[in-house]
Amino acid sequence: MATNEVATAAGTDGSAAVTAAGPAAGAREGTSVSLRELTRAFGAARALDGMSLEIAPGELVALLGPSGCGKTTALRIVAGFETADAGEVLVDGKDVSRTPAAKRDMGMVFQSYSLFPNMSALDNVGFGLRMRKANATIRRRKAGELLEMVGLSAQSGQFPHQLSGGQQQRVALARALAIEPRVLLLDEPLSALDAKVRLQLREQIRTLQQRLGTTTLFVTHDQEEALSMADRVGVMRAGKLEQVAAPDELYERPATAFVAEFVGTMNRLPGVLESGGSAVTVLGRTVPVQGGGPSSGAVAVLVRPENLTVAPADGGNGIVFLRTFLGATSRITVLLSGDLQVLVDVPSTRAAAMTPGASVEVGIPSEPVLVVAAEG
Amino acid sequence: MAAIGTYARQGWIRRVMRTPSGNAGAAVSRSGKFPVWRWVILLIAGIYFLLPLYAAIRFAGIKAFGSVFTQPDFGSSLWTSVQIAAMTWAITMALMVPTTIYVHLRLPGMRRFLESITILPIVIPPIVLTVGVLQVFPVQLKATMWLLGFEYVILAMPFAYRAIDAGLRSIDLKTLTEASGNLGAGWLTTMWRVVLPNLGTSLLSATVLIVALCLGEFTMASLNLVTTFPVWIVQTDQLNANISVSASIIALVVTWLFLLLIVTIGSRRGRRTGAGEVNLFSVTANTNTIGES
Repeated sequence: MATNEVATAAGTDGSAAVTAAGPAAGAREGTSVSLRELTRAFGAARALDGMSLEIAPGELVALLGPSGCGKTTALRIVAGFETADAGEVLVDGKDVSRTPAAKRDMGMVFQSYSLFPNMSALDNVGFGLRMRKANATIRRRKAGELLEMVGLSAQSGQFPHQLSGGQQQRVALARALAIEPRVLLLDEPLSALDAKVRLQLREQIRTLQQRLGTTTLFVTHDQEEALSMADRVGVMRAGKLEQVAAPDELYERPATAFVAEFVGTMNRLPGVLESGGSAVTVLGRTVPVQGGGPSSGAVAVLVRPENLTVAPADGGNGIVFLRTFLGATSRITVLLSGDLQVLVDVPSTRAAAMTPGASVEVGIPSEPVLVVAAEG
Repeated sequence: MAAIGTYARQGWIRRVMRTPSGNAGAAVSRSGKFPVWRWVILLIAGIYFLLPLYAAIRFAGIKAFGSVFTQPDFGSSLWTSVQIAAMTWAITMALMVPTTIYVHLRLPGMRRFLESITILPIVIPPIVLTVGVLQVFPVQLKATMWLLGFEYVILAMPFAYRAIDAGLRSIDLKTLTEASGNLGAGWLTTMWRVVLPNLGTSLLSATVLIVALCLGEFTMASLNLVTTFPVWIVQTDQLNANISVSASIIALVVTWLFLLLIVTIGSRRGRRTGAGEVNLFSVTANTNTIGES
């Protein structure tokens, strides 16, 4: 798995990784985090199965995966709320497995609203500083600064129940950052918010993280969130990392069929392998195969909607079933022979002629494609 | 123009009724529809509760109220009851708060079990409890208010557990304790600064229930030969019914004022921090089930 190797290599070499992975220029010297062979079982279920991940100083790594894939367990082990059955967590090279959560210096933002209801926004932000015995003047000043940073100075005296969901999560972010954590842990902090607020907060978190250069582990099941915010994304499945790579690489060169289909939209087309598995014939055209697929047997070809072509054609290979306007592009659902449905994205300016019922020709360019064994 | 005005007013009323703060508007309109039977129910309830009180006041006579305070043992029995209430409150809180929190956090599967255990003092008759306790406690404690305090802890357990349990259910205990721990707080700090302040309302309910229980319980106190306020009332009743009845009414009013004070303070705090309000109705309903004196 070439992409994994690249990712790991980038992770182990601190400064090189920052440049390679591309976090903010001028980020301060951060903390590196290593998860090594983490295993955790809950009864018969294996939440983590030998998971390893290297996070470079100042990097934001997102763990992405379906629910139950173990991503939250991994985060909670790093935070110190769970213990691993085997494996270790290293922070700046030191094993913290036996350090209690309260002494790990990690700021965490939770999925559910976690502000202390009995304290004002200012006192919530100042809580961590109070635990570090900072005096009241310093505490108030610093908490005030952080609230200003998240744009909530005016709300500093308000209690959590007087704040909106988005505001509460911003206060929670300020609270986590107030202790100047070595590592910032984000456990699906945006999932309870509505779409618009989520988008704003996403940008705000990313900007702040880059400005402060805090090493961040971010858990989410929302691929858009992961791809838009992270320097690298780790896709998890059944307690293991399938691939860790930069968002564009993950999207364009998925290492496995699971990653390919989990990230973005993917068409599955039946294909016939040629020349010992190095090429495949699909939609009547023979195209090269991207490495790592099966060499014989029935296969399916994975192609993204934007990598297929569609044009009106009398007697073409398909009939338009549905046309969905998405703004600049339109998504055309085409019915091919054998009840096979494919999705094709075309610029909306070219979609006008492709009304439901129109005959069209769906084609595939000669780029290498990902091939997996056909199901059933 | 008049028609437009009426229409606009109706639109405004509809808008008010739709907004959350428009409850008052909705209530007005509903009571406007069903005023008669509402008043009838209120009247029946009023007669049911107030008539006995009125009869008692008529029976005792106004003069008896003045002489209650000068009766022998009035002050000492009341003071005994207050001391026992304080002791019961302290022991119950010290036992039940950490236990309930621990069960919620670490042994959630035990909640059902604990619930059935805590129901036992209600199911077992007080006389059985008393006899059982007398068998096992050291003889030096017999017929002292200390023993009675311990017995009341058993009686108070169901009410305290339910109040604290309800409070813990209303907050996200796991996330709050984890957030606090993550920010560097130890267990004691987390309890003191995060958990207990957010249980304020339910601890207040528990307090109300415990105090009402201790100020009203008769069977156990009498069997333990401790002259608490209820025991004193019954004893006085045999000598002078007027004094006894007026003392009961004073006790009722004082307890009621005390509950009202606690509830008012609790609700004010609740409004400030957004915590739940102390529910006067559930409190009164529960004290009714305790009332065995």
